Amino acid sequence: MTGIRILLAALLLAVSTAGASAQTMSYAQAGALLAKSCGPDITKFCPKVNLGGGALRACMEGKISQVSARCKSDYVMAMASIAKRQQAQQSIYKLCNADAARLCQGMVPGDGNLLSCLLEASKVVSAPCNQAITDAGYR
Amino acid sequence: MTSPLIRMALVATLALAATPTLAQTALSDGQILQGLQGLTDNAPPISAEQMRKLVQQHMTQYPGEQLTRPSLALHLDKLPQINVQIQFRLNSAIIEPSSYGTIGAIADAMHNPVLLGYKFIITGNTDVTGPREYNLKLSQERADAVKEALSTTFNVDPRRLEAVGLGEEVLLDPKNPTGAVNRRVQIFTVGRMGPTPQPLR
Repeated sequence: MTGIRILLAALLLAVSTAGASAQTMSYAQAGALLAKSCGPDITKFCPKVNLGGGALRACMEGKISQVSARCKSDYVMAMASIAKRQQAQQSIYKLCNADAARLCQGMVPGDGNLLSCLLEASKVVSAPCNQAITDAGYR
Repeated sequence: MTSPLIRMALVATLALAATPTLAQTALSDGQILQGLQGLTDNAPPISAEQMRKLVQQHMTQYPGEQLTRPSLALHLDKLPQINVQIQFRLNSAIIEPSSYGTIGAIADAMHNPVLLGYKFIITGNTDVTGPREYNLKLSQERADAVKEALSTTFNVDPRRLEAVGLGEEVLLDPKNPTGAVNRRVQIFTVGRMGPTPQPLR
């Protein structure tokens, strides 16, 4: 039980120290990875709990000694990549605010307008903002 | 048997709503994003509460299990929407792992700046097999499960989501009330969030 937590903590640390410089997986890919690597174990050990609300994680941690090695590592990877993508999406405002103010004057925010503007202006957008857009999966 | 004309109409509806085909082909990320965007001011507003009321009224107006009753028409055609096939365990609200990717794909779309400012209603629908009251309860639990997975595992702000069970009252294919196509989760874009400066939109 502590094994997966320690592994997760280590990965999260790796994520935060690496910053937002690497590509992140989409939520769809993370969900698919979870299904592929852990689907059989979930069906076998935790058939009566749902994905949301931490129930699945709690159940899988309770069965950790029986869960396959592949599921253990991919479970941690999927959760870490979800955390990383969320971090990337949340950091966009901070990293792109100045670019938006400089390059998208007069544009009404909303409906992805500012993002469209920054995507069009990508050649003159700052490197951190461009990287944040990529990491957030918005390109 | 469905007449060719009705089949054609159904296919057209499916195409318009960017729904999966009858063979349950998964929606692409782009199709989900496209299906849920474009809410206009002339779309009649609807709340989760109103939906529940309409279902209750329909069940009162057409009581019993006989299938001669009409399907409830919610008149939501003007709202951006998608139909998705989420696999649940039999008679349960447990989402099968095979659908985790689909739920993640819906979350990806909801996190896209194009949709970040919007609210959604997630509806659960069953076919007519089994008691109506049971189906109503099961569909609510299934819609709740999708909402919970989106708002916890996949970080969608819960204030943007409502879940409504429609039971067996709103059939996608009323001519074939036991058809698998009726068992679906449908998501509607229903309104805007208040103005918040973050994140980038």
